[in-house]
Amino acid sequence: MMNPMNCNQNSRRTSSCGSNCKSVMQTLRALDFAIQETVLYLDAYPNCCQALEYYHRLIDERKRVLAAYEEQCAPVTMYGNTDHTAWTWIDSPWPWEADAN
Amino acid sequence: MWTYEKKLQYPVKIKNANPKLANLIITQLGGPDGELGASMRYLNQRYSMPYKQVTGILTDVGTEELAHLEMIAAIVYQLTRNLSEEEIAATPYASYFVDHTTGVYPVSAAGVPFDMKYIASKGDVFADLNEDLAAEQKARVTYDNLLRLIDDPDVLDPIRYLREREIVHYQRFADAIRITQDHLNSKNFYACNPSFDKGCGK
Repeated sequence: MMNPMNCNQNSRRTSSCGSNCKSVMQTLRALDFAIQETVLYLDAYPNCCQALEYYHRLIDERKRVLAAYEEQCAPVTMYGNTDHTAWTWIDSPWPWEADAN
Repeated sequence: MWTYEKKLQYPVKIKNANPKLANLIITQLGGPDGELGASMRYLNQRYSMPYKQVTGILTDVGTEELAHLEMIAAIVYQLTRNLSEEEIAATPYASYFVDHTTGVYPVSAAGVPFDMKYIASKGDVFADLNEDLAAEQKARVTYDNLLRLIDDPDVLDPIRYLREREIVHYQRFADAIRITQDHLNSKNFYACNPSFDKGCGK
């Protein structure tokens, strides 16, 4: 029978409470904002090579930042629950709570 | 489809509860010019757009409005934590409280529930895009009005951010109109409806 707390003995608890996590989250937010702006621009001007190159630089950086965040802190999407012992997706503070910001 | 990201697009961290302010700010959730209306408008209009750039803009702006909807809900949520009954009774928020406690329910500042009649999806590129330009301006005015009535810097910060986004979206819809005009006969843009008529424009 599965232990209801952990899926095996060697539990690795991620914590989104570390001060480093807040800082990485802020970096992710800033990157995602730049990406959002670039996407809206590319939607209107898809042939702008400079914008497309900028998009790719942002996306590459984002991949690194997201991987680090999800490994050390908490999943950002439901696809990012890196913990094999626990469903941490529902553990971290919800975005509308002051602690999550 | 949509994937949810467990983060607000821009942080909301409010130290002091203020139900009177929550009762006003909730209008950008359920009011005529709020983010719920905006997201429903753009996400529904996009299906009849004949040009991929315009469909792209409506999809991506519409999705961003869902993120803004969540920010407004977060502001209302944080402004209504740990309230005493006296604090509630002393403000117009008491009317909302009796029906919804401190739950989140999309209404205007006057307490009118969200109405899909606030939006149009006319199935015509020009009608829809011009509505979108007006919608962004009305949203911007609503934020201007809210900013006049807010003193708390924790609340001013995300509200100012949301106001700026309305102005940027307005620019993008102006781009969408220009792109649409480029596809059509400059002698008469209204000769046919490219969302419906075959062979309308290039």
